[in-house]
This record gives sequence, C-alpha cells and structure tokens, in this order.
Amino acid sequence: MESLLTAIFSGTAQGSIYALVSLGLVLVWRGAGVVNFAQMGQAMFTTYIASQMIQNDYSYWSAFVVALAAGGLLGGLVDLGLMRPLTSRKNSQLLNSQSMRNAIPIIASLGILGILKALAGIIWAGEERGFPGPVQPNPISFGSTNLAITSFDLFVIAVVFFTLLLTTIFFTKTGMGLAMRASALNPEVTRLSGIKVSWVRTLGWIISGTASSLAGLLITPRTNLSPNTLDLLLIIGFTAAVVGGLTSLAGAVLGGFILGYVISFVSVYSAPENVFIAILLFLLFALFVRPQGILGSKEVRRV
Amino acid sequence: MSKYLNLKPKVIGRRSSILGALLFAFFIALSAQFGPYNQTQLANVSMLLIAVLSITLLTGASGQISLGQGAIMAVGGYGAALLVVRLGINMWLAFFLAIFISALFGLFLGLAAARLSGPYLAGTTLVMALAIPSIAVRFEGFFSGDVGFSVDYGVPPEWLSNLVGEITIEEWSLYAVLPFTALALIAVLNLSNSRTGRSWRAVRDNEVAAALSGINISRSKVKVFVCASALAGLAGALYGFRGLVAPSVYPTDLSLTLLTAAVIGGLRSIGGAIFGTFVVVYLPDIIEKISGGLEISESIGTHLPALILGALLLLTVILNPRGAAGSLEHLRHHKKH
Repeated sequence: MESLLTAIFSGTAQGSIYALVSLGLVLVWRGAGVVNFAQMGQAMFTTYIASQMIQNDYSYWSAFVVALAAGGLLGGLVDLGLMRPLTSRKNSQLLNSQSMRNAIPIIASLGILGILKALAGIIWAGEERGFPGPVQPNPISFGSTNLAITSFDLFVIAVVFFTLLLTTIFFTKTGMGLAMRASALNPEVTRLSGIKVSWVRTLGWIISGTASSLAGLLITPRTNLSPNTLDLLLIIGFTAAVVGGLTSLAGAVLGGFILGYVISFVSVYSAPENVFIAILLFLLFALFVRPQGILGSKEVRRV
Repeated sequence: MSKYLNLKPKVIGRRSSILGALLFAFFIALSAQFGPYNQTQLANVSMLLIAVLSITLLTGASGQISLGQGAIMAVGGYGAALLVVRLGINMWLAFFLAIFISALFGLFLGLAAARLSGPYLAGTTLVMALAIPSIAVRFEGFFSGDVGFSVDYGVPPEWLSNLVGEITIEEWSLYAVLPFTALALIAVLNLSNSRTGRSWRAVRDNEVAAALSGINISRSKVKVFVCASALAGLAGALYGFRGLVAPSVYPTDLSLTLLTAAVIGGLRSIGGAIFGTFVVVYLPDIIEKISGGLEISESIGTHLPALILGALLLLTVILNPRGAAGSLEHLRHHKKH
C-alpha cells in the first residue's frame, strides 16, 4: 500500500515535468515540423544561468524569471537564426530529396545541442552541481503516516498545473492561440487569411523554449545539474510525445503523465536501473500498437 | 545473402578494389612516418571510418537517420568480447561473428525502422543509444557491468615480425584493423554502385516514385539497416579491442560524433566519410597545436573540440549541406563550364 502511494505521488510529480518537456516538443513539431533535439540542451543552459545568479546572491525567484525569459529568447533565436533560413531555402540539390528535408533540421538541432553542451562545459567547467528549489523537500504527513510526497513535489505539481491552465486559456481564448492552432492545421489557408505564419511559428519556438526551461528548473533540484543530466529528460519527453501523439497538445500532456507513472512504477516495483530499458520497450510498444499516438491524428504522419 | 548484398565476385568492381587497396597502402606508408601516438590515432581513424561509412549508407544513400550507431557499435563490441572471453573463440573469428550478430540486430532494428520515418526514427534510435549501454549495467553478471571486459589485439604473429621486422603494439593494432577497413570500403563502394544502392537512392529521393518503379520500400529499408549495422558492429568490435569493452567506451556522444564526421565530410560521399573521420579524430590534436602557445584553462581545452565540431556541423548544414566532398564537386563542375 505504501509503495503504491509512493509510486502514484512521485509519478504525478515527475509526470508533470515530463508533460512540460513533451508539450515543448509538440509545440515545435506542430508549427515547424521539426523535432527539436536541442530542446533540453537549451533548458540545461538556462538552468546554469539561474544557478549562476543564485550563486551571485540573487534571489531564487529573480533567477527563475530570468531563466524562463532566457529559455524563450533561446528558442526564438534558434528559429530565427537557424530553422527559418534552413526551411525556406529550396535551391540545394540535397534538399530536393524528401528524406533529407526531414533529416537536415534534426542534424542542425544536434549541432546546437553539441554547441550548448560545450559552452556550458567551458563557462561552468561542466562539473555536476546542485540546484536549489524554492521550498525544502520536507515529507508531508497525513496524521501519523508520512505520505511519500514532499513539499517540493507539491510545488512542482502546482506550478505545472498553473502553466497548463495558462496554456489552455492561451490556446482556446486568445486570437494568437487560435492563429497557432490554425497554422498547425493548415499553414497555406492560414497564410491566405492574413496571418503571418512564420511569426506564429517563432512564437511556438519561444513558448517551447520557456516550457522546457521551466522543466529544467523543476527537475534539477532532484537530479543535480551537469551538461548531460537533461539528456534523459529529452528522451522521456520524446517518448511521452510519441505516446500521446506528436500532433496533439493534450496528447503531449497525457503522454507526460503516463510516462511519469510508468517510470515511477518501474523504479518502485522493479529497480531504478531498469528505467532506460523500460522507456525503450514502452516506446517500441507504443509505436507498434498505435504509431499516431493516443490523441494524434492519423493522416498527419507521413510514412 | 550474397544475392541481396550484391557481393558476388563478378560484381565486385575493379575500381573499388583498387581504391580500397590504394587507401590501405596509403595508410601503411603514412604509418611508417609516424610515431606510436599517431599510429594509434591512425588506427582510430580506420576503426571509426567503418562506423562513419555505415552512416554514409544509412543516411547518405538511403535517407534513414540514425542517432544510435554508437549503440550498434556496442552490440558488435560486446558480441566479440563475450565470444572471446566467455567462449575462448579466436579473436579474428569473433570479429566476423560480431558482424553477423550486429547484422542480426540490424535486421530487427530495420523491421521496426521500416515503419518509422524522419523524426520518429531519429528519436527511437536516440533512446536506443541511451538504453543499450544501460543493459550492460543491468545484467551485470553476464555483461560485467561498468567494469566491462579487458580485451586487446594480443601480440603480432611471428611470421609477420619475421617478414617486416619488429612490430610495436601500436603498429600491430593498426595492421590488424586496416584489412577490415579496406574490406569495408570495397563493400560500401560496391553496394552504392549496385542495383541495391540505386534502389536505396530512389527510396531516399521519393518513396512514392520508388514504389511505383517496383521497389519494395520496406525491404529496401531493412536491407540498408542490416548492412549499416554490420559495418557499425564491426567498427565497434575493433574499437573495443583497443583495450576495453564497457558502457563508457560507447557513450551517446559517440553516435553523435559519427554523425558529425559523416555530415562534415559529406553524407553522400565515401571520400567525404574519410575526410570527416580524420577531422573528428585529429581535431583535438590540431587545436592543441594551435593553442599550445596560449595559456588556456583546462575546461576550455577539454570542451573546445566539441564546440568547434558543433559549430562545423551547423555551418555545414546551413552553408553547404553536401559537406566538404560536395563543395569539391561543385568546384570541379565550375571549372568544366
């Protein structure tokens, strides 16, 4: 009973972070048709910025805000400086080939990942360091029994739910959100209705950068910070996005929570070392059973 | 097997054999000028070249992107090490068996990959790159965990020492690897000029058109995964026998380094693969030579090669997606007109 509660609570807390990562991936995929493998590299970099600020005696919250802003900025820069010129150029012979048009942005994002990791290594010496949370991870007790959840976990869940609420309002109630949904659905028609699709796309990159930066800030108090720590988060986020459906925002969030429960149940009932293999098997299983994802639409996946 | 791979003797082109032999001779001649350190580096180039060639086939010829070639190298490395350590099989035989083990792995991977495209395939292979080394830690009893297996090329056989005089350990590891590199080159050159290679390029450029011309797309994809995995597995076995087969020898970064080498040199060119491999292996040395006079801190020194490789990768993709080999070709065309 106690281990079941542990698995459920820690699955919820972790799953909410995975949901953010997968949301970031899906936002960019829907807008630009690119899976951004540099996403958690960007988050790693902005978390280092926050860590540096905290070391220099700034408050946690000012570092928090700066890291989020830096995440958005970095996302926007990647689009404007790299992805937009890459996708707008059609004259190259290599890009005439179908499969290479898909491969080039992936390779480019890996280049960014490599550069960000190397830069973090140069600036911050690349050693593993701790990263604080705003609240101490004190276990919360209910009556006399200790629940397997800390006050920090509650903070994480609260922040993520607030973010998801804001995102939902943005996409359903604002004109900009409507424009984003429209341009994901049909860029040509959206462009004809007078919406600047390329800027909507950039906005997607900015929101994605901010969301993944937030995920970085929330996961590192648990895992410590080093140039490579967030790699695992990227592959979990990717798996979550595929499970939920790369084309669906709600699916991304759902997939994040599913992955959270899968991983926490595996590490509670089996062993933490099995997590990698569990992720791989779960991904293959999901691709085999429902390749378009739980909430994804089928015709968008071009095979 | 030979029917599908087009490796029948009559198909093995004269040009490719000559090229393979020439490169072989070039490396031998080069190594004679070198000290032990550069001989080791040259051996590294020859091993990694085989893995980079697997990307030339996979991404360059057939358009499938894999971020997990390092994991397949691990499959080959562990296969060979287990055969030698646990079963006491002869090392050379173990290398050839490692090719089959990784080809078999590639068959399964290809069956899964034939259903996937672009980003799905890239992500899945990236997950694989992280998951496979962790299997070695998980099943510690069998794969001996983080410690791994200590394996090496042993001592040079007597007849060879009698033939060419005394051979150092560094020279021996180079001589042991080079025949495999030459074979891999010949195989890749033949494959890309064969019917199979042409069908891969057709699938890469336009799947619908390829299917309409009677190419079985899934089979074509499975085939390229088998061939590429065989190459990567061989490279992994050779790479491991430098001294250690362990998870730390085949990190995720290795997969990305291989991709970087292939892209910088030119994804569609074998000469490009050779050039790119030289760049990734020798870049740290070059940087050290240039910055030798300057006082740079240790953290910059260790991360500068990765930074420059990342920048080179980005610049290649933005300015010249066909890589160094592509720009050479471009120059040649301009001269003609």
